[in-house]
Amino acid sequence: MSTVGPPGLDVVDRLIRLVEAGDRRDLLQRLAHTRRRLLDPTVRVLVVGEFKQGKSLLINALVDAHVCPVDDDIATALPTEVSYSKTPTATLVRGVDGASDAEITRVQLSLDELASYVSEAGNPADRQGLLRAEVGIPRQILADGLALVDTTGVGGLSSVHTTSTLAALPTADAVLLVSDASQEYSEPEIDFLRQAMKLCPNVACVLTKIDLYPQWRRISELDRVHLAGANVEADLLPVSSTLRLHAMRAEDKQLDDESGFPALVRYLHNAVAQADRLSRRSVAHDVFTVTDHLAVSLRTELQAQRDPEGGTALMAELEAAKSRAENLQRRTSRWQQTLSDGMTDLTADIEFDLRDRMRQVVRTGEAALEQADPHAIWEQFTEWLGQQLAAATSDNFVWANQRAQSIAQQVAVHFAEDGGELLPELRLGATPTTLDAVPELAAPHADDPKLVGKLLTGMRGSYGGMIMFGMLTMLAGAASMFNPVSLVAGLVLGGKTLRDDKHSRLKRQQAEAQMLLRRQIDDVTFHVSKECRDRLRQVQRLLRDHFSEVATELQRSLIESIQAAEKAAHTEDSQRQQRINRLNAELAQIDTVRQDARALLAAPGNRS
Amino acid sequence: MSSPTRAAPGLSAAVRAVLRRAAEVYRDSPTTATQLRGQIDRLDEPLRVAVAGKIKAGKSTLLNALVGEQIAPTDAGECTQVVTWYRDAASPRVTLMPRTGASRQLPLIRTDGRLEFDLRGSTPEEVDRLLVDWPSRSLRTTTLIDTPGIASLSTQISARSIALLAPDDRPSDADAVIYLMRHLHATDVRFLESFHDQAGAPAAVINTIAVLSRADEIGAGRLDAMVSARQVARRYRSEPKVRRLCQTVVAVAGLLAQTARTLRQSEFSALAELAQASRSELDSLLLSADRFVAAQSHPTLPAQTRNALVERFGLFGLRLATNLIRQGYREPAALTEELVRRSGLDELRTVLATQFTERRDVLKARSALLLVERTLREQPRAEAHELAGEVERILAGAHEFRELRLLAELRAPDLALSADARSDAERLLGGHGAAMPNRLGLEPDADPGSLREAVTAALARWQRRAQSPLSDRAATDRARVVVRSCEGMLARLSRDQVSS
Repeated sequence: MSTVGPPGLDVVDRLIRLVEAGDRRDLLQRLAHTRRRLLDPTVRVLVVGEFKQGKSLLINALVDAHVCPVDDDIATALPTEVSYSKTPTATLVRGVDGASDAEITRVQLSLDELASYVSEAGNPADRQGLLRAEVGIPRQILADGLALVDTTGVGGLSSVHTTSTLAALPTADAVLLVSDASQEYSEPEIDFLRQAMKLCPNVACVLTKIDLYPQWRRISELDRVHLAGANVEADLLPVSSTLRLHAMRAEDKQLDDESGFPALVRYLHNAVAQADRLSRRSVAHDVFTVTDHLAVSLRTELQAQRDPEGGTALMAELEAAKSRAENLQRRTSRWQQTLSDGMTDLTADIEFDLRDRMRQVVRTGEAALEQADPHAIWEQFTEWLGQQLAAATSDNFVWANQRAQSIAQQVAVHFAEDGGELLPELRLGATPTTLDAVPELAAPHADDPKLVGKLLTGMRGSYGGMIMFGMLTMLAGAASMFNPVSLVAGLVLGGKTLRDDKHSRLKRQQAEAQMLLRRQIDDVTFHVSKECRDRLRQVQRLLRDHFSEVATELQRSLIESIQAAEKAAHTEDSQRQQRINRLNAELAQIDTVRQDARALLAAPGNRS
Repeated sequence: MSSPTRAAPGLSAAVRAVLRRAAEVYRDSPTTATQLRGQIDRLDEPLRVAVAGKIKAGKSTLLNALVGEQIAPTDAGECTQVVTWYRDAASPRVTLMPRTGASRQLPLIRTDGRLEFDLRGSTPEEVDRLLVDWPSRSLRTTTLIDTPGIASLSTQISARSIALLAPDDRPSDADAVIYLMRHLHATDVRFLESFHDQAGAPAAVINTIAVLSRADEIGAGRLDAMVSARQVARRYRSEPKVRRLCQTVVAVAGLLAQTARTLRQSEFSALAELAQASRSELDSLLLSADRFVAAQSHPTLPAQTRNALVERFGLFGLRLATNLIRQGYREPAALTEELVRRSGLDELRTVLATQFTERRDVLKARSALLLVERTLREQPRAEAHELAGEVERILAGAHEFRELRLLAELRAPDLALSADARSDAERLLGGHGAAMPNRLGLEPDADPGSLREAVTAALARWQRRAQSPLSDRAATDRARVVVRSCEGMLARLSRDQVSS
């Protein structure tokens, strides 16, 4: 295996050459996608939590370097992504949320300068339009593609920041919830965990500052009880960043054990290994699928060459398969129906859900305005409203995301059942069925998989022989383009100000404030539901395109097989043996690629 | 020295008269009448100060530190589940007041000094409050109210605290609030704001003090942690958002304060023994709590003793105490004094004295008038018309309330007033303590001559402002209130002179 680039790259490249030689350009796109994924093996781990819990120090202790500024008072204001690079680098990324690559500017600077941008002191309320900071640092722990993201904890989990963190979750490979040992979990923390579990199956809870609190064991027990009570199945890892830093400086193995970091590092390694297994598995899967496509016509021809008389039965089977593939492309096919019906229902449900939540907000808000002088409470009220709207849209978002994924899964199943696979009997004993060699992926909670965990793990793994991994990244990409929070934040009472008319009567002012509230909610509902509808339509299009493409590939392979079989019937006997040898040689070539891909599955996770 | 606000016979008498008349008007409604009459007694009782904050903010610990005894139960988990009153009395007693039914006495159980409340079959939901009678000098002027944490996992528990401090259906039971926070969190701001919603209440900001509790943890228990914490407190103090919500922000290391005030001889000896180790040995021993209590980590002190020590002091307390002993604090009394000073408790007590104790009559009068106002609004009576006018007249007219209102106004960030004039007015109105020397920015023992001199100068300053043709109406009104405060002080000085 080649030592340059990640394992599997060599296999994919060889396959690309074969595909080019075999004139199946339609399969190239899929392999190009595989190749891109292989070259960017980043495993993103989000570090989240209320502010002042020691998130930045945790990252510093993990990489044993001062990469995230730590202060007694000032909190982190800018998300910072720490990943591997050969020399230390720091980059500021400037732009607006959801901007295209062209609108984003990057500024290189030194690590020391970075602190003034990342902390709240240097960058109050993030006024400089910065998106995030990126730090590269040569550390063994990051070498396997691990990227740690320090999120802002300003204002705590209950604020608007939560929702932007939530929106980033579907793209993360793992999440560390950081909470210090001074107290047990609070309600917002448990709520966050509950939501996070639905968006990312790999969540671990880190209990920090255990050096400072003698009762950390009690706290960790209480936390475990809270976790169990909320049905959150996540590891709880007690650590002390201070001890870890001491241990690294003194090279004291025992102190390092006391710091609890070895367990955390193991957890991260597992997360990386799991992501690695997933990636190998999906590469192997892509390779198997493409080789199947390549092999099917060769094998058909081979069979026809060997046994020209038995051709009719084979042809009939191929024709049947071809018509199934054609059916799959029709709008009336079952998977298309499942997709469009599912999405229509989903759009309606999500919209209803959003309206229902908004109605609750209106009711509570109106009641509050009824009882007070709107002027006296206006600032407080708008803040409250912002939070309520953010909470409503984020719940709505989590739900939409979940439902969309379950529809995707259902579509996949129907697609596979209705003939979305190459005929298994054509695989001719010699090669095992595609997935036989794939070891079952260990789910994060293997013994008692909760529905959600099962769903997501299942999706990331496999379904009915199709490739979900790439699909999922695409879905997540589409989802993260939609950030409900920035949308809501931009809309909060923008331009709507309460007229400060000291002479008008209280009743009239209350009525006016209530009207503003209703208009505001109408605006938000309108924009969010439009955005939501657009996003779901985008997901629908993605799924439709993906499966249509697979169906086209399938049809093409079958047509080629039929042509090959027909050609075989007309081959002259003198050339027959030669042709058989040639086919065998080509098949052997394909088979070595498959063997190598299978080796990928067996190899333990070791990228470097 | 009696302060102008302490000696407010006019205000107190007027409020008393209003309460009596209100009780008369509502004599046909026994609950309301009892409530109103209770309020009359309250005028002679100690000031009620609630200790509030989010869960695990260290409310019970700080309460113990203020009382100087470890009476309120404290625990690593969420601990205080019902509102608990601590008041001075001749003999200790615990009474349970249920939401419905008659109150009953609970057995007095103490473990290691701490009280243990056995609710005797009642759930926390059924209990309105616990009343702890406790003979203590510290409780003589103030009754302290311990509250369950807000934003606690069990929503009902936090609901009980909010009901006490910002009740929907009756004026707050507490006259003043010490609000504990670990950092300024969005929920803290929201909660502080909820005290301010009572319509017609003059200046709730005046009865709230914020405490940056568990301050040693802000600096991760380093020796200089309190320096860091005081800086944070200073920053909060200057933040407009915070200024609008509370009088001031003080940093206190609650656990250390509590332990220092209850330091035992045995603990001092253990600390002294610890302090004998070399610098590096001590540093490595105090690297983490686990290290400190590990079986073989100290040659002579048994693990059990060390366990108890770290529970009582925390790592910061141990680091600081051993360091102080090495510096020469070799007597328990001296060590206690220094630890209390370093913990920030002294500063908090001074602030409480100047902000709450000296102003207690005004704060109580305010609570009383709010009750009457609310009663009149909710149960309107034809014959109460005159009474309503009287309440409004006192709230709007009494100079003490005008002072409070103006003080609150001065804290708004967008006032057209120079920073100097603003802080001058704030001080004269009693923002840094209601006693005369505080108002004049002089030492507490200043002689009458210098007091008079300072008042006269201030009076002239503000009279000029009040008469300036350039001032708008609002500015003139503000200046007049300050002038009136100065005149009051001058009158008192003359009175004192005559009487002596």
